[in-house]
Amino acid sequence: MGVKLYKEPELKNPMMFCGWPGIGNIGIIAIDTLRGALRAEQFGEIEPYEFFNPRKVLIEKGLLKDLDFPGSRFYFQRIRNQDLIFFIGQEQPTEGRTRYAEGQKAYQMANLVLDVAEKFRCQRVYTSGAAITQVHHTARPRVWAVPNNHTLIDEIKEYENTILMSGIEGRGGQGTITGLNGLLLGVAKKRGLDAICLMGEIPYYLQAAPWPYPKASKSVLEVLAKTLDVKIDLSQLDNLAKRVENSVEEFLETLYSTEGIPAEVRDEIERLKHTRKAELGPITEEEQKKIMEHIDELFKGEDWNDEKHL
Amino acid sequence: MMKNIFKFFEQPQFENPSVIVGWNEDAGNLSPKVIEYLNRKIKSRCFCEVEPAGFFSLGAVAIENDVAQFPENRFYYSETANLVIFKGSEPHFEKYRFLNAIIDVAEHYCKAKELFTINGTISPVAHTSSRRILTVFNQQRLREKLQGYGLEDMTWEGRPAISSYLLWVARERGIPSVSLWPEIPFYLAAGEDFQAIKLILRFLDKRFELGLDLKELDEKISDQNSKIASLREENLDINRYIGMLESALSLSEEEQMELIKGITEILEETG
Repeated sequence: MGVKLYKEPELKNPMMFCGWPGIGNIGIIAIDTLRGALRAEQFGEIEPYEFFNPRKVLIEKGLLKDLDFPGSRFYFQRIRNQDLIFFIGQEQPTEGRTRYAEGQKAYQMANLVLDVAEKFRCQRVYTSGAAITQVHHTARPRVWAVPNNHTLIDEIKEYENTILMSGIEGRGGQGTITGLNGLLLGVAKKRGLDAICLMGEIPYYLQAAPWPYPKASKSVLEVLAKTLDVKIDLSQLDNLAKRVENSVEEFLETLYSTEGIPAEVRDEIERLKHTRKAELGPITEEEQKKIMEHIDELFKGEDWNDEKHL
Repeated sequence: MMKNIFKFFEQPQFENPSVIVGWNEDAGNLSPKVIEYLNRKIKSRCFCEVEPAGFFSLGAVAIENDVAQFPENRFYYSETANLVIFKGSEPHFEKYRFLNAIIDVAEHYCKAKELFTINGTISPVAHTSSRRILTVFNQQRLREKLQGYGLEDMTWEGRPAISSYLLWVARERGIPSVSLWPEIPFYLAAGEDFQAIKLILRFLDKRFELGLDLKELDEKISDQNSKIASLREENLDINRYIGMLESALSLSEEEQMELIKGITEILEETG
């Protein structure tokens, strides 16, 4: 079990971009949009059997045709003088009850991804995910950047619409990155490989929502496109972002009109709309807990897990 | 073969047996009842078990019907019937490794020639209607071999059950396999469906020439049917709902719930 490469392209110091599902699917949408726009070609995969359960079975006229497992695929492309590798995972491996990677399997997966990075002498790895924060859904999300070593900080400071953890009000340069995004950064550090995690901001009241948050993916993608000096057509992402924003507006309007959430939560969300980022103080844990109790309740049951299995 | 996860009690001699796999949890209690009945009638003996560590959450012990439970995954063998039977639970973790462990025993240890899995599929049929056994094969040859047993093809796309996953693993390992899915009326799914249990046992009896005496089950079927018939006489709504199912008409969600409640109550009350 492990990595299966269909071909071994000759790549020169490529950069690797990794995306997988997470909050608002911010990371995977950003990385996969970039992969699609640059028409990267698949050249390998991580065999799924030890990591994932099958998602679908296809039975036709009494014959088992296929089992479909989540894919973990590698792609490559060359743009001008820069070679690129993409890793797109359709799920994060987990041993517990969370949606996000943890445990031995996640560590194994991170190592397999970085085995490929090292095999092709990658100079840098980018991962992407979500930064849960006090931002209104109508605002342009910033990108939080976390490198795995100090030498990358000066470069990150030049990125547009991007901040380091030390630049976030009330954070003092501290924080945590859950799932494979954090793990990959750590394992890359252990191997002496440069890595940066780019996290698009998502309003904390949408973190449990079943929708994607393409607006934040777009912010991440803008940083990546600038870094690579490529032009990406973002119109599809813009359309999707607009649709999601409309859905969020409608959803909140319904809640407000039916008093589905308490007035104080509504006021808190509305306050964000009219507050500049610089004026936002850190939200206290107690305030967040109170708000999330209501928001989480609203999104419960969005998973359709009552389907029968055969 | 992953030897450290098995505990062997005996070293029986096998002659290319068929393997029957049943699960501890199933609609209409079909799978456990079929396996228990079969084990008893063909006097099979446990020769091996799969250790639960690594596959099941052992941080707590589940209590069911006042009794503490523990995951049991055992292989049985009947020399006279030349059958290996596996009865186990769906693992919480490492499903792929667990299913490969089952196939390891079947392939390397028993040199099994074929594998059958037993599961019930919940269906909108009436208990009085004739039931079908729907089937899924992992290769065409076995499908052809089992023509003439009145089995019907299944067509389906969706989330896989553990048996479908096992069938796929068996296919990867070259073991011809079939899943047998008798229909269980949805209102009997939470209890015991003796009719479906008998249907599967009758198939196995014919296939393996076991000479099973199924009278015991006939009595249970007759008893269950008469309890439901009495309820139909007393409760016109229940009678109407079952009548609709008998005429292949569908019930609303509310009607289904009412039927499930009525049938479950009467069968539980009367034992």
